[in-house]
Amino acid sequence: CGFEPAYGPGGSAANLRGSILVDDPTERFSFELVKQLETRLGQPVNPRYGLSIDLRLRDDDLAITQEQEILRYNVIGEADFAIRDLASGEELFRGKASSFTAYAATGTTVSTREAQKDAYDRLMVILADQITSRLIASSGSWLT
Amino acid sequence: QGTQIGFGGFQGDPSKPVDVTADQLEVDQADGAAIFSGNVLVTQGEMTLSADTLRVEYAEAGSDAAGGISRLIATGNVVLVNGPDAAEAAEAVYTIATGIVEMQGNVLLTQGPNVISSERMTANLETGTARLDGRVRTTLKSSQSE
Amino acid sequence: QSASPEDGLEQPAATLIADSVALDGNNVVRARGNVEVFYEDAQLKASGITYDATTEKLTIEGPITVYYGDTATLLASAAEMDAELRNGLLKSARLVLDQQLQLAAAEVRRIDGRYTRLGNTVASSCKVCAADPVPLWQIRAREVIHDELERQLYFTDARLEVAGVPIAYLPRLRLPDPTLERANGFLIPTIRSDSIVGQGIELPYFLAIGEDKDLTISPLITTNTRTLQFRYRQALNAGDIEVNGAITRDDIRPGDWRGYLFADGSIGLRNDFVFNFDIEITSDKAYLLEYDYSDTDRLESTVELARTRRDTYFSTNYTHYRSLRDSEQNDEIPTEVVELTYERRFTPSLFGGTLTTAFDGQGFMRTSDTDGPTGRDMARASLQMDWQRTWDLNNGMLVKAIGAANADYYLVNQDSSYDEAQLHLTPTAGVELRWPFMKSESSGVVHSLEPVAQLLWTDTSAADVPNEVSTRVEFDEGNLFSLSRFPGFDRYERGFRANIGANWTRYDPDGWTLGVTVGKIFRDTDVNGFSTGSGLSGTESDWLAAASVTFPNNLSLINRALFNSAFEFTKNETRVSWVNDDVLLSSSYVWMVEDASQSRFDDTSEWTMDAEYRFARNWIGKVDWRYDFVEGSAARAGVGLEYVNECISVDLSLSRRFTSSSNVDPSTSVGLQVTLLGFGENNRRQSVRECY
Repeated sequence: CGFEPAYGPGGSAANLRGSILVDDPTERFSFELVKQLETRLGQPVNPRYGLSIDLRLRDDDLAITQEQEILRYNVIGEADFAIRDLASGEELFRGKASSFTAYAATGTTVSTREAQKDAYDRLMVILADQITSRLIASSGSWLT
Repeated sequence: QGTQIGFGGFQGDPSKPVDVTADQLEVDQADGAAIFSGNVLVTQGEMTLSADTLRVEYAEAGSDAAGGISRLIATGNVVLVNGPDAAEAAEAVYTIATGIVEMQGNVLLTQGPNVISSERMTANLETGTARLDGRVRTTLKSSQSE
Repeated sequence: QSASPEDGLEQPAATLIADSVALDGNNVVRARGNVEVFYEDAQLKASGITYDATTEKLTIEGPITVYYGDTATLLASAAEMDAELRNGLLKSARLVLDQQLQLAAAEVRRIDGRYTRLGNTVASSCKVCAADPVPLWQIRAREVIHDELERQLYFTDARLEVAGVPIAYLPRLRLPDPTLERANGFLIPTIRSDSIVGQGIELPYFLAIGEDKDLTISPLITTNTRTLQFRYRQALNAGDIEVNGAITRDDIRPGDWRGYLFADGSIGLRNDFVFNFDIEITSDKAYLLEYDYSDTDRLESTVELARTRRDTYFSTNYTHYRSLRDSEQNDEIPTEVVELTYERRFTPSLFGGTLTTAFDGQGFMRTSDTDGPTGRDMARASLQMDWQRTWDLNNGMLVKAIGAANADYYLVNQDSSYDEAQLHLTPTAGVELRWPFMKSESSGVVHSLEPVAQLLWTDTSAADVPNEVSTRVEFDEGNLFSLSRFPGFDRYERGFRANIGANWTRYDPDGWTLGVTVGKIFRDTDVNGFSTGSGLSGTESDWLAAASVTFPNNLSLINRALFNSAFEFTKNETRVSWVNDDVLLSSSYVWMVEDASQSRFDDTSEWTMDAEYRFARNWIGKVDWRYDFVEGSAARAGVGLEYVNECISVDLSLSRRFTSSSNVDPSTSVGLQVTLLGFGENNRRQSVRECY
């Protein structure tokens, strides 16, 4: 049916793993995103490509009761990413990932606090998965 | 003309005798004009004109100034100097009777600190006026800028 | 305006270019035909110029255009100026600033290359065409002085006329010219009417304090309140600070001082440390909502010291909570929280892969001392080791071994039904198989298909500690393959489980993308006590199905659902967002089944919509609402209309908040703001000036 293993022999993403160095994180969320990306793209081993990410996050309150209590929040994330050749610095591929997660605020303050942290971490996993599958799908056009 | 900083025009005295020196002289049999070449230098009163070649045309027989010079045609690195003023051009035609000098080809008129460039210039030595045409360019020096 | 290099040390002279120049011997130059004069950044074009070298004056015949830099243009029919175009008098002239603001006057005087004084002038940025000669608004003044350096316009005896009708007179008026970004002065007033706060006006005043600081003071004077609102901002070389606040005396609570303070900032310190703070204080529970400063129902004030590097993260913080909810007593909920986190990731030389070690200590306190859940305080110290190693098989499959161990030491205070101290170890082991496939079609369509299977085991013995932080569990693609779906450290997902899932994404050469993820979890025993509303209860979880489609014109739609094999939904969440020149749309819908254990006592079904649409060249409609289908009523609804053309922007907004609590009643508020465009730099100039 035309599908063949991306990392298999002859697969265009055959030597993708370990070839990408994600730019350094600057705060907790990008730290989590870099961790997830390294899990999915493999620890960099003398990498040839750099991956820079512009991460934009915001939360949105939802399910507001008649007594003006906010029961739920959405965490919305957008990540513009760009692959560049580490040697020449030339940009090879550019893409965008976006998604949202949600958390409940019906528990106590500390329960909402952990639920919020978990929602941000889950969003980083989703964005990392989207970026990874986009890199695999486009590897034919930039991965040598 | 003193050290005026402005534009003085081009005063000359066309009635003065014209003296020409050059390396060679030929005579054009056809119309009797004299062709000087090689370091040509023409002086008339204070004014001097230098050029690579000079063609001197004489008034035809029967005109009142018969035997006198009617026109000077200078070509090649023409430089006309008159006191503090100087004008360069590729070619110049000086009609003695009218005192009109017509210059053309990268004309560069310098009068004290002022420089004017253009494609053509017509100067009237009697009235001391000059008129430049064709992409004229000059700087307007003002006293603050001295 | 320093001399340009090629002119050498001598001050540059003005250059004149023309088709022909006549010298008449008495120091006068007469230039004719496409005459241009250049001096530094000033450039003059005219049909004829006479330059008298003795008086150093230019007498210029029109039509004249003088460009000063790229922001000011002077048009005139005749003029007399100095050689450097610094001083001069222009007749029937028009000054055009930044191609927007036009000032026409019979006589314009240019002074010292900096000031332009216009007598009996008319200023407007509206188009003036033969068809409708009267501009929408104009300011008539006996005199206007434009200071090019300060970029200010000073009007004397100014009269504002709208459609030819004088509506305001000011003896003195100062307005910024269109290129000025930052200057002290009044900003655009807003007329407000609110059923609680009353009818009145808000008049902000901006104060620039040096390059890096500014303060905006904006009094709000209405029939019910005298409020002083302020915003202070400061940019540091590594970080920034912003403080918003207000002080109020009003008739809603006569005799009380009311107000709020929201301050947040981040300050960069030595070797990558950052100090963050976010303070939220208010005088009483209703204030923020009544004055529409914030919808929040819990105030969270935090100070934090953090450092983020590629493979280590450190943070220690203290947070104080204050709930504004009717349903919560502040002394019975945890209001003081301290936390310390240190995480480090490295490749152990012994057996490769990636080892992530993390220490997390947290303590929180309820001020009430009653024994049991309403007075309980807790502290916890956890050490986490998470080791994973992936082998890339040559058939393209990724096999990952997973080994993790969590040691948690709990302290429970003021709750006799629990031991005071407990130490518990939670080991986890597992394997994950990933096999990404790809297919590229000749049409340029590329598919990626990735099945994933994970087998995990965690020891089933659990610590007998109250569940304070791990109570709200969600199930989405973000934790389909995580070791424990419980947030926090009070509960871990235990027993044998198989997490099965797959993602298929189709990338179309035209730029749109469709992605689908499905997943399901199978367990040997149901030991975790997940709530029914989480979709994770029982030995077989609900189906997780998430689809997202994004288009190149920035339209994106994401839907995530949890439903059982009989297609009975547990949860469905949708988000739509669309941003382009004419549309700004963001809408979300959430449906959740009733789940008492999660304090959801009936189904939740709520639709929020926030949209702006340019339905005509100069008209933008705005609408936002929040509708609760179960209650059958809206929590909030608002509609707005904005008219913007090249010289005026009118912003009308009407909004209604339906929610009410013991402290706050529902409220309706209307706002009107009229902005004359062309003054100050960041005005929104939408349409270009054309005459039909």
